[in-house]
Amino acid sequence: MTALAKHKKMIVVDGNEAAARGVALARPDVVAVYPITPQSSLVEALSAMIAGGELDAELMNVEGEHSVLSALQGAALAGARTYTATSGPGLAFMFEPYIRQPGMRLPMVMSLVTRDTLTPQCVWGGHQDAMLVREVGWIHMYCETVQEILDTVIMGYKVAEHPEIMLPVNVNHDGNYLSYGVTSCELPDQALVDDFLGPKSVNWHVALDPERPMGVDPLVGNAGGVGPSMFVRYRKGQTEAMAHSLEVISEVHADWAKRTGRHHAPLIEEYRLDDAELALVTLGSMTGAAKDCCDMLRDSGRKVGIIKVKTFRPFPALAMRNALSKVKAVGVVDRSVSYGWNSGPVYQDTLTVIGKFGLKLPAIPFIAGLAGADITVAHFERAFDLVAKGEAPPGPVWLNEKD
Amino acid sequence: MSAYNSLTYNASLCVGCTECMKACALAKTGDATNLDQSRIKIVPAQEPEKFEAAICRQCGDAKCVMNCPSGALTKNGANGVIDWNADTCVNCLLCTVGCVYGGITYEASVGHVAKCDTCGGDPACVKVCKSGALGYVTTASIYNDYGDKEDMFVPGLAACQGCNSELMIRHVMRKLGRNVVVAAPPGCIPGMGTVGYNGKAGAKIPIFHPLLTNTASMLSGIKRTFERQGRDVTALALAGDGGTSDVGFQSLSGAAERGERILFICFDNEGYMNTGMQASGATSFGSWTSTTPVGDKLHGKSTDAKNLPMVMMMHNAAYVATASSVFMEDFYQKLDKAVEASKHGFAYLHLYAPCPSGWRFPAGLTIDICRLMVESNFVTLWDYTPGGGLEFTHPVDTPKPLDSYLKAIGKYRHLANEQVDRIKKLLEDRLSMLKRFQKA
Repeated sequence: MTALAKHKKMIVVDGNEAAARGVALARPDVVAVYPITPQSSLVEALSAMIAGGELDAELMNVEGEHSVLSALQGAALAGARTYTATSGPGLAFMFEPYIRQPGMRLPMVMSLVTRDTLTPQCVWGGHQDAMLVREVGWIHMYCETVQEILDTVIMGYKVAEHPEIMLPVNVNHDGNYLSYGVTSCELPDQALVDDFLGPKSVNWHVALDPERPMGVDPLVGNAGGVGPSMFVRYRKGQTEAMAHSLEVISEVHADWAKRTGRHHAPLIEEYRLDDAELALVTLGSMTGAAKDCCDMLRDSGRKVGIIKVKTFRPFPALAMRNALSKVKAVGVVDRSVSYGWNSGPVYQDTLTVIGKFGLKLPAIPFIAGLAGADITVAHFERAFDLVAKGEAPPGPVWLNEKD
Repeated sequence: MSAYNSLTYNASLCVGCTECMKACALAKTGDATNLDQSRIKIVPAQEPEKFEAAICRQCGDAKCVMNCPSGALTKNGANGVIDWNADTCVNCLLCTVGCVYGGITYEASVGHVAKCDTCGGDPACVKVCKSGALGYVTTASIYNDYGDKEDMFVPGLAACQGCNSELMIRHVMRKLGRNVVVAAPPGCIPGMGTVGYNGKAGAKIPIFHPLLTNTASMLSGIKRTFERQGRDVTALALAGDGGTSDVGFQSLSGAAERGERILFICFDNEGYMNTGMQASGATSFGSWTSTTPVGDKLHGKSTDAKNLPMVMMMHNAAYVATASSVFMEDFYQKLDKAVEASKHGFAYLHLYAPCPSGWRFPAGLTIDICRLMVESNFVTLWDYTPGGGLEFTHPVDTPKPLDSYLKAIGKYRHLANEQVDRIKKLLEDRLSMLKRFQKA
């Protein structure tokens, strides 16, 4: 038995409870909650842990998602490590404080239990909610497994509070498939997590505290007053921190792997790609079925691989270029739509990488898994077949169109 | 420092019971029957059943002091009392000649003059006066208590001429001091430059722009975090009526329901005055604003104002009060109660802030308008606690005509008679509704 194995504590949980367990290990000071499907069991689990004394945190039951994030911003400005989770319409309602958080450089972790958006009415999984806020300035990481959720929530704090980053992190897990999917996973030791995260340092740069009086967020910009330069300085600093976070995310994943023995690809995971000719790009829980399909096709001798995007914002362009440059054709499976481009957002970013680095390969857009639709091995097989033909249709291929 | 604390006497209320004289005699001689030595004398007036009081008014330009050749009489700068010094008095009695109030007289039984010393600021006579004829006014108490306190805003805030909000936020912060975090949501208060740069511009205290929508929830998070850290820091909102009653209302309601330990002050100028005088939910019926204009089809705001203080009372907040910048002592008392209440629950103060720019009246008349709006019963000053009920702190039983208030303000210039009638009815209904919440 290895030293590592001796410390293993296995639990059987769904993705929502895994997120809650990860949060508890990160020891937040303030947790604000408002329930929404499919996130509810996550905040219920956290509330129960606080009620039972297992987690020593201030629980704020506030009257809506807008106030959830607002309260947490106040808490962070007073020095608190904070957490919440939301989905779909909740995220939409939270939008006003949500767009403000990165500009204030307030670190936090928020789980997005991803859900397709209205309308038509639906309460099931899809990436549309998270995709609608992809340009706001939060770091977005998508999880594939329940274990990855637990681990990434903890890692998220390390990334967010890194003194060179100071940005909020969304750890995204798919509604239904991951939120309610039960599996065994390993629960790290509290001591390990404490040592990994180190001391909290949330408001060293901006604070609302009588001991350090300052005016927070005065008017900046326009051509008068302090002039455009200060606004540009803020924006530029924000985008530079965002770009730099790719490096920090990689370091943090490597550190976590060293401590726990669990390696999660930080930016882009290449699965059976080295000698592949075709690849599918995936995001989130669909990757499991995609890998199964890949294995099946490999068994029959086809040279196929999977490119999983874990960090979607900022977009890991270099890592994506490295992956794409190994194959001759690619398909991108999106679980949301970009109305402006009649395809999916991940597809658009893939095209950007292809164009930016002068790669020469056809790319086919697929849309699947909307509103909780299952993306099966058969769907991925069909996608691989279409990529193999190399014919790009005028619009996206809707894989669940006839389901 | 100069102060003018003094007794007041309202002859129309006096019933001639002479209880005040007995109390004074007891306080000064130990014997309530020594009425000769009472320093207040109630005497019959010329009209039958009417009375006058001979009592020192502690004048600011006291004739007795001017007449005194020996320096025995002096005006006390700290409390305003005219002090008499037995050691330097030469018994010339020139002081008694100077006083037209009979406030300093020769007492034969003790062989020198005697006068009221206000019992050190807690006059015995006032305490026993059942008719309410005697009172004690502490005109400069605010100055005395807060004059030396630090102004937490830098000079040169850019409020419009005649704005009382700047006056009031300076008062509030002199009182509250530095151990505070201030939220100033978008509106006139940050618009005048309160959220500045690190004490050099704006304020010397921690201050921030919340969103227009989330003042109460951001403060909730701040307060909870300080509570968790074991620190007693006041979480204060200086908000306008728009951010309070419209888009900010959900977060306000939630924070009040949760009993967050916050002091929320709303400056009600009946609209979005900072951005061009648009109507808010708190704009009064009939008002002209830039979004409730006056024309052939529309005649100003067609709906009534949302009455925020009443709404907050229905939230069972720990303390709710309305206040006016005309009645400053009343305001300070309410501020005291609100600060205290905010240590254990949600405290809400609603401050009336007539706006010369947006309401169309001369900037020099703000205080007159503030007074008139109270004295015409357009607004009512009261406070409320869940246990104690509602108390009117400046009841106006014989109000000035509403027309005198409406006619003083340009935004009501167009009102038709039916609109004025509707306002009158609204005010009557509101007053009778408030009375139902009065203390038993």
